[in-house]
Amino acid sequence: MPAAVRQPGWTRASAFVVLGIAFSYALSIGLRALFGYDPLLDGEAVLQIALIAVPFFFFVGIGLFDYWGYYMSGKATRPEDHSGHGAKSWKSYFYPNTDHKVIGVQYTVLSFFFLLVGGLFAMLIRAELAQPGRQFIDANTYNGVFSVHASILIFLFVIPVFAGMANYVLPLMIGAPDMAFPRLNALSFWLLPIAGVMMLGSFFAPGGSFASGWTAYAPLSTSAPIGQVFFTIGVQFAGASSIATALNFLVTIITMRAPGMSFFRMPLLVWANFSTSLLVVIATPFIAASQFFVLLDRALGFNFFDNGQGGDVLMYQHVFWFYSHPAVYIMMLPGFGIISEILAVKSRKPIFGYRMMAFSLLAIVALGFTVWAHHMFVSGMQPWIRVPMMITTAIIAVPTGIKIFSWLATLWRGVLHLDTPMLFAMGFLTMFTLGGISGVVLAMIPITIHVSDTYFIVAHIHYVLFGGSLFTIFAGVYYWFPKMTGRMYSERLGKLHFWMTFIFFNATFAPMHLIGLDGMPRRVADYADKYAGWNLAISLASFALGLSTMIFLYNMVSSWRGGPRAVGNPWRALTLEWQVSSPPPVFNFDEIPTVVGGPYEYGVPGARHGVFASSEPPAVTAGSSGPTGPTPTAHE
Amino acid sequence: MEVDPRSRTHRRTIVQMVVVGLVASAIGIAWGLYIDWFPVQASTQAKKIDGLWDLMIILAVPVFVLVVTVVLFAVKEFRMRPGEELLDGPNIHGSTKLEIVWTTIPALILFTLVGYAAVVLHDIEKAPANAADELKVDVFGEQFAWTFRYKGADGKPINTTRLRLPEGRSVKFTVRSKDVIHDFWIPAMRMKVDAVPGIPSSYRITPTRLGTYPVVCAELCGLGHSVMRSTVYVMPPAKFQAWMKQASAPPKAAAGGGGGQAAIDAKTLFTDGNGESTACGSCHQLADAGTPSGGIGPDLDKVLSGMSVAMVKESIVNPGAEITKGFPANVMPANFGQTLKPAEIDALAEYLVKSTKK
Amino acid sequence: MEAAAIPAPHTHDPDDHHHGPPEANRSSRVDPQMLGMLLFIISEIMIFGAFFTAYFFVRVVTEGNQWFPFNGDELPKLVAGVNTAILLSSSLTLHWAQTCAKNGNRFGLKAGMLTTFFLGFTFLFIQVNEYIHIGFAPHDHAQGSIFYGLTGLHGAHVFIGLTLLAVVTVRAFRGHFTPEHHDGVEIPGIYWHFVDVMWIVVYTTIYIL
Ligand code: HEA
Ligand code: HEA
Ligand code: HEC
Ligand code: CUA
Ligand SMILES: [Cu+2]
Repeated sequence: MPAAVRQPGWTRASAFVVLGIAFSYALSIGLRALFGYDPLLDGEAVLQIALIAVPFFFFVGIGLFDYWGYYMSGKATRPEDHSGHGAKSWKSYFYPNTDHKVIGVQYTVLSFFFLLVGGLFAMLIRAELAQPGRQFIDANTYNGVFSVHASILIFLFVIPVFAGMANYVLPLMIGAPDMAFPRLNALSFWLLPIAGVMMLGSFFAPGGSFASGWTAYAPLSTSAPIGQVFFTIGVQFAGASSIATALNFLVTIITMRAPGMSFFRMPLLVWANFSTSLLVVIATPFIAASQFFVLLDRALGFNFFDNGQGGDVLMYQHVFWFYSHPAVYIMMLPGFGIISEILAVKSRKPIFGYRMMAFSLLAIVALGFTVWAHHMFVSGMQPWIRVPMMITTAIIAVPTGIKIFSWLATLWRGVLHLDTPMLFAMGFLTMFTLGGISGVVLAMIPITIHVSDTYFIVAHIHYVLFGGSLFTIFAGVYYWFPKMTGRMYSERLGKLHFWMTFIFFNATFAPMHLIGLDGMPRRVADYADKYAGWNLAISLASFALGLSTMIFLYNMVSSWRGGPRAVGNPWRALTLEWQVSSPPPVFNFDEIPTVVGGPYEYGVPGARHGVFASSEPPAVTAGSSGPTGPTPTAHE
Repeated sequence: MEVDPRSRTHRRTIVQMVVVGLVASAIGIAWGLYIDWFPVQASTQAKKIDGLWDLMIILAVPVFVLVVTVVLFAVKEFRMRPGEELLDGPNIHGSTKLEIVWTTIPALILFTLVGYAAVVLHDIEKAPANAADELKVDVFGEQFAWTFRYKGADGKPINTTRLRLPEGRSVKFTVRSKDVIHDFWIPAMRMKVDAVPGIPSSYRITPTRLGTYPVVCAELCGLGHSVMRSTVYVMPPAKFQAWMKQASAPPKAAAGGGGGQAAIDAKTLFTDGNGESTACGSCHQLADAGTPSGGIGPDLDKVLSGMSVAMVKESIVNPGAEITKGFPANVMPANFGQTLKPAEIDALAEYLVKSTKK
Repeated sequence: MEAAAIPAPHTHDPDDHHHGPPEANRSSRVDPQMLGMLLFIISEIMIFGAFFTAYFFVRVVTEGNQWFPFNGDELPKLVAGVNTAILLSSSLTLHWAQTCAKNGNRFGLKAGMLTTFFLGFTFLFIQVNEYIHIGFAPHDHAQGSIFYGLTGLHGAHVFIGLTLLAVVTVRAFRGHFTPEHHDGVEIPGIYWHFVDVMWIVVYTTIYIL
């Protein structure tokens, strides 16, 4: 065997993929022979087995299991030489790596790739909807396009990009040299491209891609063409990735904090990811199960949802939403954390009501499990479930409100540095409030009875996911860009990006409230003529929104390649990730810092969050900057 | 601590901000109440739901205005000015008093909303005083058409694809599905519920306005979801009764099988189906049968001229063979070969050719 | 995922400290591997929870559904009961093996692990036999789907557990584990105990109630 095939890497991975496909054929034919099916070769059966099995062959090939393989077979594990740690060149990013910073970048960049793909699908949706009747794609393709749009943006953009950013900064923030389980961390990342390839690949399936929405309600999904299975199985990989990362975060946060960092000295981003991870670990198995049910029903003729055989169609929705409502907070809480970091630093003021900020996160986690059926107000479920769910749903607005108001109070009397991250943070404050309020509208059962499954929902979705999550993601990417790349981005382009996005975001999604209330259903390729005017306006605005993303892209790429070098602590922040160089050294810290105070003590001269014992005195002074900043002016 | 020069404007700012906030809220509320958000109000339910919406506007606009105003004023007052690059804000950690305020006030607002919503919910679902007088209609969803079943005068079912409702009388729909999940929605009446296979669901409305209103499928049900529309006709009670009488009277060929070999009424087959087959009229426009433009299938008056009976027959039995341009494939049911008797297909085809000849 | 909990033994190389990471601070008394396994088990409990939700809907919520025995389909309570006993005794032998690992009794460790693995394997074997002889298929009715779904899900977990046990056994035979370092026995052990406890729940709800 040539060395390239023995070494972990892409050559070996390709060889293993071929092996995996052969295995799928063999297993499928073998099983069908065993059960006496005719014909022995069934394309769909092979495909379904391959979708599950081939990724594992790929993982083995690319080398994710090598270490565990040695361990499991009882061979001496090679002493950790850290060769799989840290990036040596850009090529390192295409191989498994155990450094949380490399993984963080891999995650973030890949997720943004999926943002572009998902956004491109959105452009296709809007092009089709620009006028009534058929423009470019037929109804089946249309259904496939919005299903893939939503699935990609949810499972392969928002959820993983938060995991990616936290992967980069969280260990730094708590003063840990890496995550608790670096190899598991690498595996978490590699599960994502697999899920992405599946979801996009579904378009090549006979019968088209999965077309039953990102919600994949049974029995539409259990009777759909084979493309549906690409979703069913792809989601399992994305979900496994989420669970593994969440578990990793929880263990890292609980066991690896720097000395002195009590729970109430953790930055709120850490709290936010702690809460999110709890949600993920507890809720994600439910979507896994819901898709197992669909798969079993569809492929093996199980009857979970076949009412003629005693199954229950609504069970799908209960199980699905028991995950997917918490999932919307999985897509929001890390953003809350980012906003807390940015607002404190950019207002030069401590977070107002730190403890309530932490507790409200936990309250949202707990309440998040009690509201799932608000997605089912018109589903025909038992009517008595509705009012209790309406009450719990309304209650969730209270802890969320606490957060919003505390952020406002943080702004008040601060010294607001209105640069790009801050602009996005403020955009988030206002737009998320609007999205949240439309959520409260949806919680009111009589109104939901009218607007459920209309464009009002589409408006809500995008106000919370774009105006909420995506604004925080942009804010976070700009904020940590210097840390992650060692370069500064262009502030001018950043601001232009913000204003374009802010304006055209509203122009795109605000009118959707109107047409929704007026009776336009969602998920339609064609609509009544009376909505034509608004739809055209929306489509035009959405193209401009798409272009604004190009500005972002250009800014990121050009700044990464040739932006001015960033200093260690350009924002004069106190949290630990800013106390090291940009980008940080391979092992984060030469020595673990000791935490001596809260993370946001701005306004106290000389305040510190963490100190390094050997390099005393570190230039970690409140109101001052990192190693390169000028000394603080007297300011009592 | 030295007095922050920036806090001198503090009190005046707050006053300004309150004024701006109040004015903006007032404008916002007025505007929100003025805008005509909904389709026409055509049921008692619609009126109550729109009322809840108004309350929502009144309570929610100030919340949004509050957040926006504070953000804008913070920018105006506290943005970093030249020379303040190294300045920090005051080291304020919180205020229990404020936290209590912004926990209780939203809680009260939400309490009001939820309470009122529960009342409205009860109102729109409650049975009419004289429950016996309530009209009961069974609604069936299937890919991609709606059919309706009334109880005729003699207790025999009346199947039709045309939803006719009397004005001013409470109607209870029992909604079922024959395949996947659909959703029976009449925007003008504001009510909807999913049609779930195996689990009947229901709602009631009292139409209050004569006219025709769209019926829309509001749950993704496959290819033809976007075209799964129908129409409801709200008519004066007397006219409705007259229709009921006429519809329950014979001749009704083959309503559910049996019934001898009476002459096949192709027109009824077209508008209402034979009890098993989906009615053509739920998708196709045909002047002679009086079916409205649903927009799902081609307008038969237009496309059939010049076609032979055999060609039409082929189109009915095997709709996928040739797809009319501009219309989706696989939407027209492919099972008419089974659900219609051969004689019925013949009759239909002849009828179509005859009635579209000009 | 489960591999997360397989402890990565830090081959502490005293003279390899010049370019490694700084030792992380331990901010909790809980062992990371142990915590990882516990969290993973929470996830596992939730996936069983979802299947039990399906069970609940088919058995309780859907009107007119009967539970076994019906339609002439019956569940072999007795065989499954014996199987339960087998699985439970494997927990005991595992515990024995773990105690031996702690006390440095290598023979006990190896014998205990082998017995445990063998008992677990027998359980799975009997389970598959039960499927063959039970007389209904998952596509016959929703009850059958639930039965196969839940026992199959559990069977898959037994399989994962057996893999972990096999790893421990192989390592035990290769001379790993000392009274000081036996996390590698403890942590997969927790998983196996979890699989056993889960079976009691499955057995009770499916066969007995
Ligand atoms: C990031 C994602 C996210 C977030 C955070 C939310 C947050 C909320 N959502 Fe949303 N929701 C979605 C994503 C999200 N949602 C998606 C994707 C769907 C559609 C799924 C599909 O069918 O495809 C959906 C659908 C959806 C429905 C179902 C509608 C239907 O299909 O019929 C409902 C119903 O109750 C709802 C309610 C809420 C509520 C009450 C909140 C609350 O958490 C909001 C709380 C926040 C605020 C209220 C603002 C700040 C608070 C204050 C300033 C305090 C004072 C406020 C008041 C007194 C009002 N959402
Ligand atoms: C994070 C989540 C997220 C994000 C960011 C978006 C972003 C966008 N979404 Fe999406 N959307 C959802 C989540 C999201 N959406 C969900 C969950 C649904 C429900 C699906 C369902 O019903 O199952 C949905 C459904 C949905 C619909 C309703 C479909 C229907 O019901 O029939 C529409 C319609 O307009 C829409 C539009 C858009 C638009 C215009 C954007 C824009 O913001 C996108 C802008 C970004 C880009 C375009 C980036 C890429 C740009 C380029 C690659 C450049 C090329 C472009 C040009 C040259 C113009 N979305
Ligand atoms: C659910 C909707 C639906 C129903 C019900 C339906 N059709 Fe159609 N029909 C369509 C669509 C969509 C097309 C165009 C696509 C195609 O040609 O298959 C079509 C095409 C046709 C055509 C071919 C027109 C041409 O241009 O060649 C004929 C004839 C026809 N339908 C007759 C009928 C008759 C008769 C019935 C009832 C027995 C019926 N349809 C029921 C949706 C429907
Ligand atoms: Cu029927 Cu949508
Ligand atoms: Cu929700």
